[in-house]
Amino acid sequence: MTDQLTALTTIFTEFYYWITVVLMFLIHVGFCMYEVGASRYKHHQHTLMKNTMLIPLVTVTWFLFGWWIYWAFPTGPGLAPSIMNESAALITDESAFSAAWYVPTSDLMGTNLNDRISGVFWAAFLLFSWTAASIVSGAVIERITTFAFGILAIAIGSVFWTIDAAWGWHFDGWMLKILGYHDAYASGVIHAVAGGFALGVLAVLGPRIGKFSPSGEPRNIGPRNPWLVTIGLFLIYTGFWGFYAACNIPIFDLGPEYGMEGVTFWTATNIYVTPTTLGAITMNFLMSLSGGLMAGYLISKGDPFWTYSSGLAGIICASAGNDLYHPIQSFIIAMVGVWVAYKLHYWVERKFKIDDAVGAVAVHGYAGVAGLIICGFVLNGYPSSGYSVGAMWVGTDYAPINPLGMFIGAIIMFGVLGFLPGWILAKILQGMGKLRIPKEVELAGLDYTIMEDAKSDEKAVASSSR
Amino acid sequence: MATVTNWIDHLSAAEVQGPVYPGVGTEGILVLILVVLWIGWHFISNMQEKSKSEAIARRRPGSNDWKSNVTDG
Repeated sequence: MTDQLTALTTIFTEFYYWITVVLMFLIHVGFCMYEVGASRYKHHQHTLMKNTMLIPLVTVTWFLFGWWIYWAFPTGPGLAPSIMNESAALITDESAFSAAWYVPTSDLMGTNLNDRISGVFWAAFLLFSWTAASIVSGAVIERITTFAFGILAIAIGSVFWTIDAAWGWHFDGWMLKILGYHDAYASGVIHAVAGGFALGVLAVLGPRIGKFSPSGEPRNIGPRNPWLVTIGLFLIYTGFWGFYAACNIPIFDLGPEYGMEGVTFWTATNIYVTPTTLGAITMNFLMSLSGGLMAGYLISKGDPFWTYSSGLAGIICASAGNDLYHPIQSFIIAMVGVWVAYKLHYWVERKFKIDDAVGAVAVHGYAGVAGLIICGFVLNGYPSSGYSVGAMWVGTDYAPINPLGMFIGAIIMFGVLGFLPGWILAKILQGMGKLRIPKEVELAGLDYTIMEDAKSDEKAVASSSR
Repeated sequence: MATVTNWIDHLSAAEVQGPVYPGVGTEGILVLILVVLWIGWHFISNMQEKSKSEAIARRRPGSNDWKSNVTDG
């Protein structure tokens, strides 16, 4: 950086993403509080540890291979050529945004005076990875082993979500070119994929003991600490602001970027490098939160757990198009998403005996899928990228956003990269006898020994005179 | 290990060298160590978890026995 303007722009962008990382940390704090609040007393500490340990496991694997996958896989490989090198192979050449720069042995993956952005950008994406894994964590509480959850967290956090991000959340992704996929704030890329993955795991893991009566009727195992659930969800809302900001590029001149001679247009952009404004996403965030809360309150008849969760589901449903929607559209879409999520949750629970302890599949998966499908209709005809506009299925240019492409995109996110890998991995872990804790431990409580030791110490302390 | 021994010399060079962490060139070894620590953690924590679970399972406490272990604050 040899001139002040370049330095200011670079360091502003570096600091902008750094702030988003700090804000997004609150999402994980919120998830931890929420899960502990939803779990029963005898499982509290194990529940907390399981979600906490995904932080280092996903971080280490994100450093080793997750970040590389994001930059290597936008072409499929083999599905659509990159606009950088016109090849459909993995992007590992000397291109500007190549995975070659992000192998763990690269000198850009360390303190480097010539690269100020990569590290904070790496961290912003890592926080998305934690979120993906944490979504799964809530669904499986009180009966999964920490070992199995660790493997599953790495799979969703450092492999499958990053593949879908490369495909559908990268300016060069094949899903934009072939399908016209658009998912600005990750209805599908984070939420549908994690919800689908959680459902795949749950289908193999089975319900908690006592969740269903002998005749198959579901029983409610409600949150044991509603205050923790409340604060947890408010913290997730708060962290979501950081998430939205992290999905943007804060300042960019689109004139030269799009090859328009003599045109200068400084703007914030979404992750696809198409223009939006912080004002737009702020209004849409709050209106979709409001729509979600109002719909959730009505449909659940004022149940606090569902009302708070519905605020989140509302944002998630509107997120795919919240870079362009009108705030009232966001509000209505959020209400529809909540209705879909709530109804599907109870239908799937009864029909397939799925015990989703915190409603994660509904709030993230079903609302995310609904958001993608709705986005295909509401944004039908908008360009999926600013670099070019072409026909669907061709792959050399970018297809416009359309309902069919978004529907196929939803299937890819929820089913192909979510449900299927979750189900297969859970089956493998089950086959190894590693997926589920012993029945005796589930009944006694995962924290039984810790609590017994604490009681023993307490007695010893109480009987001491010096 | 020091990659920089004089900041004035370093920053006034015709082309400033970007990486400044200790041991530039040893990244492969560092990555190998990280992989061993990561995989090792799974093995050890799995053994610990198995041992704790088996101990509880052998004793077969009832589903309400935990209540007698609640501390009084």
